[in-house]
Amino acid sequence: MVVSAFLAVYLDDAVYSVASLASALMLVAILYSLNDAGFAAVFQLGISVGTLAVLFLSGETLSEKTNQRNPLRKAFLAIAVALLLSIPSIFLSVGTPSTTVSSGVSFPEALWNLRAVDIVLQGLVIMTVALGIAIVLKTRKEGGN
Amino acid sequence: MINYVILSMTLLAIGIYGLLTRHHLLKVLISIELIATAASMNFVLLASSLNKAMGEAFLILAFSTDTCVTGIVLALLITVSKKYGTSDIRKLAELEWHEATEAEKGKSETDGDDD
Repeated sequence: MVVSAFLAVYLDDAVYSVASLASALMLVAILYSLNDAGFAAVFQLGISVGTLAVLFLSGETLSEKTNQRNPLRKAFLAIAVALLLSIPSIFLSVGTPSTTVSSGVSFPEALWNLRAVDIVLQGLVIMTVALGIAIVLKTRKEGGN
Repeated sequence: MINYVILSMTLLAIGIYGLLTRHHLLKVLISIELIATAASMNFVLLASSLNKAMGEAFLILAFSTDTCVTGIVLALLITVSKKYGTSDIRKLAELEWHEATEAEKGKSETDGDDD
């Protein structure tokens, strides 16, 4: 996961970066499902598939062709650095709580308790969509004139 | 056993590194995605280790804001790259500075003519 995330940031080609980000997000979803967070895994998978489809399209549109020397060597260097970065997460520990404490709150109950936040965030989503559409349409109008 | 807090901190560090060093707008967006993933991973995995469902619920709510950020940044990215022909932040900053100084020059010239 660390290697994929580092390659997503480090690689110059936008399409390869998005492909690396895709693999990192899929691994995050697998990690969630391994930790008994099934809902989170499904949502992570669904949201990341949608996001990545859009990112692939925009990456393909916006990528600038560059002539790189030794791209394979650069990728190997990036993988080596990322492997070094992933060592602390394997060997270090920060003393997370290991005891299992049951709070008695089920997932639907927790979601229901947070319904006010949910409504506010839905409003935020609608406002953001309106803002995005306004930006795109304003540009088209300026381009048309 | 992999320590998930350190894993999410590593992802956060990679995202911050990308934000600071990459100049392509799409890379900036990818870095923001990584930072958001690191934050939500902390929520889910710590809550799941305590057997609490609140972490998953927060994650689902956090996805909506994350999607908003992605949508807005993508709209800006496409708009900017169509308008200016580049998605490099340095070039865009130079362009803005250049336009601002040109506008400032024009304004001072018109003020001088009026005097």
